[in-house]
Amino acid sequence: MYDAPTPGSKVDQTDIKITAKKVQVYYGDTHAIKDVDVDIVDRAVTAFIGPSGCGKSTFLRCLNRMNDTIDVCRVEGEIKIDGEDIYDRRIDPVQLRAKVGMVFQKPNPFPKSIYDNVAYGPKIHGMVRNKAELDELVETALRGAALWDEVKDRLQSPGTGLSGGQQQRLCIARAVATQPEVLLMDEPCSALDPIATAQVEDLIETLKEQFSVVIVTHSMQQAARISQKTAFFHLGNLVEYDDTNTIFTNPSDSRTESYITGRIG
Amino acid sequence: MTYATHEGAKRHGSLLTVDAKTKTRNAAETRFRIYGIIAILAGLSFLVILAFSIIRSGLPAFSANMVEVELTLTPEQYADAEAQLFKTRAYEQVFNAAFTSELQERGLDTEFDAESIQRIIGNTGATLRSFYRANEDMLGQPVTFNLPTASRVDGYFKGRLLRENVTDSRFLTLADLDLADELKEAGLIQSKFNWTFITGKDSSVDNPGGAGIGASVVGSFAMMLVVLFLSLPIGVAASIYLEEFAPKNRWTDLIEVNISNLAAVPSIVFGILGLAAFIQFAHLPQSAPLVGGLVLTLMTLPTIIISTRASLKSVPPSIRDAALGVGASKMQAVFHHVLPLAMPGILTGTIIGLAQALGETAPLLLIGMVGFVAREYPGGLASAFMDPNSAMPAQIYTWAARSDDAFYEKAWGGIIILMVFLLAMNILAIILRRRFERRW
Repeated sequence: MYDAPTPGSKVDQTDIKITAKKVQVYYGDTHAIKDVDVDIVDRAVTAFIGPSGCGKSTFLRCLNRMNDTIDVCRVEGEIKIDGEDIYDRRIDPVQLRAKVGMVFQKPNPFPKSIYDNVAYGPKIHGMVRNKAELDELVETALRGAALWDEVKDRLQSPGTGLSGGQQQRLCIARAVATQPEVLLMDEPCSALDPIATAQVEDLIETLKEQFSVVIVTHSMQQAARISQKTAFFHLGNLVEYDDTNTIFTNPSDSRTESYITGRIG
Repeated sequence: MTYATHEGAKRHGSLLTVDAKTKTRNAAETRFRIYGIIAILAGLSFLVILAFSIIRSGLPAFSANMVEVELTLTPEQYADAEAQLFKTRAYEQVFNAAFTSELQERGLDTEFDAESIQRIIGNTGATLRSFYRANEDMLGQPVTFNLPTASRVDGYFKGRLLRENVTDSRFLTLADLDLADELKEAGLIQSKFNWTFITGKDSSVDNPGGAGIGASVVGSFAMMLVVLFLSLPIGVAASIYLEEFAPKNRWTDLIEVNISNLAAVPSIVFGILGLAAFIQFAHLPQSAPLVGGLVLTLMTLPTIIISTRASLKSVPPSIRDAALGVGASKMQAVFHHVLPLAMPGILTGTIIGLAQALGETAPLLLIGMVGFVAREYPGGLASAFMDPNSAMPAQIYTWAARSDDAFYEKAWGGIIILMVFLLAMNILAIILRRRFERRW
């Protein structure tokens, strides 16, 4: 179940990883997401854009059922990953979250060492048999997050002592270490300066070779730079979903055009 | 667009002069600061007065005026004394002889009669006899006896008893006080640290000198163990469930409100509940530290639950998200990440709850721990929990209720000991807090 995607295998860019049909999300009486249909492609970056409060983060959190932790939140409709409905009664959200990793808006490393931060996921999922394997996995994950060279000499120092950008890459390493298939990123660069943002963007570029990356972003430039597919959300509706190029150059909906040209939002 | 003229734009006066509005604002702030300082000074002065009066009234309990006499009892004298009809009388004569020689050694040739000595030092014969019967191997060797003076004489030296209030009675005469003064001057009566008060057991009403708080410290300790081992796990488990797992609905709201209310319930209510539930219904022994501990557990639980929930709540939700995001189960997220971060708060809350329980007297009143005279130390571990004993606050209450002034002094001394324990627990709370606090 935790097998890493085999590197090098030829996968068509148009492979569909996640299918969402008629997804509705309610917070108590508020209808936060209305009738969202979207197909998310494997091994590509899909960006969710839209003004604040449009529901893009809410929808993202539906994809690994993080919304389960909110009592008043109710999800309807169908979300399938690899053809399996993740809201099926038989699905255990814990297993799902091992398969669908997540990086949050604010870097949130555990108040533990850098090593323990990365090793935590593999440990609880029993992915390794001994210390040597764990060491290797931690190194791979940190290299994967382009952080290894900066921290290899101080793996035992606290993860919270790193700079903001490093912390966010540590969180990416932590997510990558459990070898997920989908990586959800909720505005991962909003708390970072431009240099750290550039580093994380470079990282996302390489991550998409192994994962299906879904990223929520406030920066349209960022969406344009890193994503292949873009979805524009507005007031809980998915207004438009298409290739990033099309969205930014030839949007079919007037609201999309207004937003990307800076007239709304 | 036209710009305002120079005069028109200058809506504010010079910044170097303070305008009226600012002046009143600053004055209000200064007044508030002064009120604050006054409040703190008032609080501090009350604290100082409290500490001073406790120490002044309680310190005498830690010292006792003793008579130190060295004497040697030969095996022949022992056999002789044991053969007599009035055995203690025989020992008394031995003591008086030794005492006389001690007096002469110091160049004092005061006349004294045996009865006067007895009124000053108490029944010396009985003390000697019980010592030698227990330690026959000490026969023939010099032994130093430290005999406490009678509580009235002790009180006279400590200023509790004034000469003008003394009327000759069978307990004390003015002549006795003259003799006592002479003995004190000669160094035969000395003020010494009163170990009996720390290590001793409670004594009967007419022997305040022999009363100590030791046995009730053991009682309190046994109770605190019961409280700790019951309320910490139950309280922490309940809080974790309520805070992290329980759905938020009408029932959990109701439970929450009731827990908050329980924290405000007078402790005597818990006492009567304990009496009904543990003694009358479950037939647990009366006055036992186990029952005391159970009652105090009921009382401490709300405190621990409230403080534990507060410290769980203060752990940032991003830590929970992070753990759940890598696929930790709810329980793993709580036990691996949230609980360690909440630990300092939980420990502080627990220790403060324990400290509160340690000083609680009212519930003990109802389960029979107040008024019980703790004459003996418990015989073993089981006995420490199951056999009747007193507890520190109960012991203090008992002493304070006795008529002899000497017990009043003991009550203050007991307060000092109780305060030392509370201080130690608070220091422990601070140390644990520092130790468990997130280091980065």
